Amino acid sequence: MSKIECNLNINGKNKTVNIHEDKPLIFVIRDELGLTGTKLGCGLGQCGSCAVLIDGEKKNSCNVLAKDYQNCKITTIEGLKTDKGLNKVQQAFKQYNAAQCGYCTSGIIISLSSVFLKKNDPTKKEILSCLEGQLCRCGSHASVMKAIDKLKAS
Amino acid sequence: MPLWISCIGYESYRQIKSELIFKMNSFYSGPSIKLYGKLRNWFNFDKNNVLQVYSGKIDIGQHISSTLALISSKITGINYDQVEIIKLDTDISPNEGKTASSLSVPDSGSAIKAASLSLRKAFIKYSIKTLNVNFEDIVFDNGIIKDIKSNRSISYWDFAKTNEFNDLSIPEKFDEKEIREFNYKNDQKIEIKTINDIVTGNYEYVHDMVFPKMLHARIIRPPNYFSKFVEFTNNINHKLDELGINLLIKNSFLAILSTDEYLVVKYLDIIKQNIVWEEVKKLSEDTVYNSLKNNNKESLLVKSGGEAFYENIPSLKEFKDKNYTTLTSEYKKGYLMHGPIGPSAACAIFTDKKFTIYSHSQALYDLKLSCSEYFKIDPNNITLKFRPGSGCYGHNGADDVAFEAAVLSEKFPDIHILLKWTREDEHCWEPYGSASLNKLTGVINDEGKIVYWSNEAFSDTYMTRPSNTELHNFISYNFIINNFTKHKSTPKTKAHMGIHRNLDPLYDFGENRLVKNLVHDLPLRTSALRTLGAFSNVIALECFLNELAKTKNINPFEIRINHLRDERAINVIKNLKDHMIIDIQIDGSYRGIGFSRYKNSAAYCAVGVELKVYDDLEIKLINAWISVDAGEVAYEDGIKAQVEGGFIQAASWSLYEEVKFDTKEIISKDWDTYKIIEFDNIPNIKTSVIDQKGFPYLGVGEVVAGPTGAAISNAIADALGQTVKTMPFTKEIITKELLEN
Ligand code: FES
Ligand code: FES
Repeated sequence: MSKIECNLNINGKNKTVNIHEDKPLIFVIRDELGLTGTKLGCGLGQCGSCAVLIDGEKKNSCNVLAKDYQNCKITTIEGLKTDKGLNKVQQAFKQYNAAQCGYCTSGIIISLSSVFLKKNDPTKKEILSCLEGQLCRCGSHASVMKAIDKLKAS
Repeated sequence: MPLWISCIGYESYRQIKSELIFKMNSFYSGPSIKLYGKLRNWFNFDKNNVLQVYSGKIDIGQHISSTLALISSKITGINYDQVEIIKLDTDISPNEGKTASSLSVPDSGSAIKAASLSLRKAFIKYSIKTLNVNFEDIVFDNGIIKDIKSNRSISYWDFAKTNEFNDLSIPEKFDEKEIREFNYKNDQKIEIKTINDIVTGNYEYVHDMVFPKMLHARIIRPPNYFSKFVEFTNNINHKLDELGINLLIKNSFLAILSTDEYLVVKYLDIIKQNIVWEEVKKLSEDTVYNSLKNNNKESLLVKSGGEAFYENIPSLKEFKDKNYTTLTSEYKKGYLMHGPIGPSAACAIFTDKKFTIYSHSQALYDLKLSCSEYFKIDPNNITLKFRPGSGCYGHNGADDVAFEAAVLSEKFPDIHILLKWTREDEHCWEPYGSASLNKLTGVINDEGKIVYWSNEAFSDTYMTRPSNTELHNFISYNFIINNFTKHKSTPKTKAHMGIHRNLDPLYDFGENRLVKNLVHDLPLRTSALRTLGAFSNVIALECFLNELAKTKNINPFEIRINHLRDERAINVIKNLKDHMIIDIQIDGSYRGIGFSRYKNSAAYCAVGVELKVYDDLEIKLINAWISVDAGEVAYEDGIKAQVEGGFIQAASWSLYEEVKFDTKEIISKDWDTYKIIEFDNIPNIKTSVIDQKGFPYLGVGEVVAGPTGAAISNAIADALGQTVKTMPFTKEIITKELLEN
């Protein structure tokens, strides 16, 4: 198994890493780049805790290879902040304390960002569809729903 | 029980006791202050303008640090933002036992409230004396007392340097006068302590820790609990050496370690395909419900008050009179898993003959003693430090992984070891909430009064937390010593322990016959899962109560209120009714309710559910109402978050969850094979918190689960015209039950 040079654009910065070519994206994000806000939950593409934005679309990072995303813009939870501060999904989550243990939260914020950064008032169907596969075990769903209502209202 | 209590009966005693507490309105500092009675045990003022508070409880998703900071802030007058709760560290924090059983606010909250009251009182007294002024001449602002005439001031931080602070003891009781001025508003909005870091990805979980040269590790697990390591089929050592991957083998305990986490994950899979295990024993021989009925068991009689006794079990009574209606029923529930979204993890280092272990276990002090016993090392040479993990709902893999990390760190000294369980580890190796079966018989007379009630609970233990005398409760300990005998549990007898939690009804049912059956030789590993036996006992109770009510056409609210004497319980049920009535029922939907007082001594909770059952038997939750009385409210939004989260988790248990297994292994290995609730089935939840100012804090982490399962089950019964008695309420199970009837 050979190592390759992999050029990634993460959170607006170009990064070059020397990695095994079969390394999944999540291990590059967390271990090589130290962006630990992306969480490993299942490694199977089932729970959504490792979600990142790839060119604005949500993608689980645990079951895809880093080398396949060299020409894309990758955004992790750490990269959602803008010069003006937190993005609007993050703000709403903060306002409604929309997390319990928080392990699932970054994936959920990423998912919602993929919708709310494109549209101000997405439909219920669009929201539920982006949340499909985003698991939470603590039951933070109720507070997440309140944050979503706030986002829709604003 | 004192003689006078047995003379008047426990029920009356309970009523008198609560009235006395109400009238005296005293505040008791609680058990932690008995052990840690000095102010300095709870507060540190070394950081400028920051009040650091010690607590023996940990944040496991219940926002305890925010609640504790709020309690302290409200009383000391120091801004909430300037109050910091120190993460539990066994070298410096008070030992308040486990963070479990809904006791975090009752224990630590009461202790910190008492410490804060003492601190404030002593500080004011000291300031007045030192400034030589009258009380009327001072202003108190954010921890600083100022003499308005001279402008001189003293702060808590000055006071903390004095001998008065150092020597001050906290009383075990405060009277009404002392606490009256702190009858603050309870609906204060705060930002929870962890939220900013969580939404920005900066909240550090134990999984995220990094140290120089740190080794990532995974355990190489066999197919089941009874598998002995034999050999590798291929010589993989050479390849592992080449890649700098370490392999540790201690009898049947095997682990893989490397500085590159991905190599560990990748070669874990490769090794698993090249390994031979000997199956010492089969995982199971029969279905769990057959085993619950047929296996050896120990049966104890549970009496009013909730304690279990080794006494003869009376036979079921028969009521032949035609004015009495007798019903019998059987309720079943499979194994449930904790299933945190992030698998358990721990980080450990062994250096200079000392261990430091970072863990998200609920029982860090017990872990310290267990490790001391295993490694034969002085407990003073072991430090446990809390670092957050994924949500915790009881005894999950956290203790196991911490122990395993410590074992690995001893073999690789001077290097931090970060051990994570895999998704499959967490799904297959955690101790589950036990499967259970409840057999009920009830007799109701023509006036609608229940005169006889029998509830027999059959289940496995909920109490296998590891300890220094029970190292075998660490799953890997058995593989380390190659001993695969199953340890027999002994029944716990204290009030509302494990299987018989909430078996004793709060209702007045004339005569009760309550039996706890600890069934042996059941297939899967079990221990404490949120509510222990209360989930199944409350569901059985609350559904059977509806079945009895139906025979006499009595409304579900009425049957409950008619059989309760506890005013707070009645109040909670009426509160639920009022809230449900306001909302117009949606066409084609059905409603159900459930009620419980957790352990008959903690919070009260009533739950209402509105749902639809579609033609294909899919169940959609539409609305939920929760009414809760948790004593004095310390942090209302915190209570709401806890009960709403608990509702959702219990709804998931009720509708979807059951651990599947066969004779060889556990089949529920991931989220595809163990489904949980998702965003598409979350109802609109309305929670009403009843504030009981002056009453003790009552924890709310668990109270909602039983009533939730019952409310869902009762709503489904309303929809189908019959109660479905086996959980979870999946299409397959409902179909089976409908066909059987
Ligand atoms: S960790 Fe990627 S989907 Fe679960
Ligand atoms: S908040 Fe804990 S898993 Fe979602």
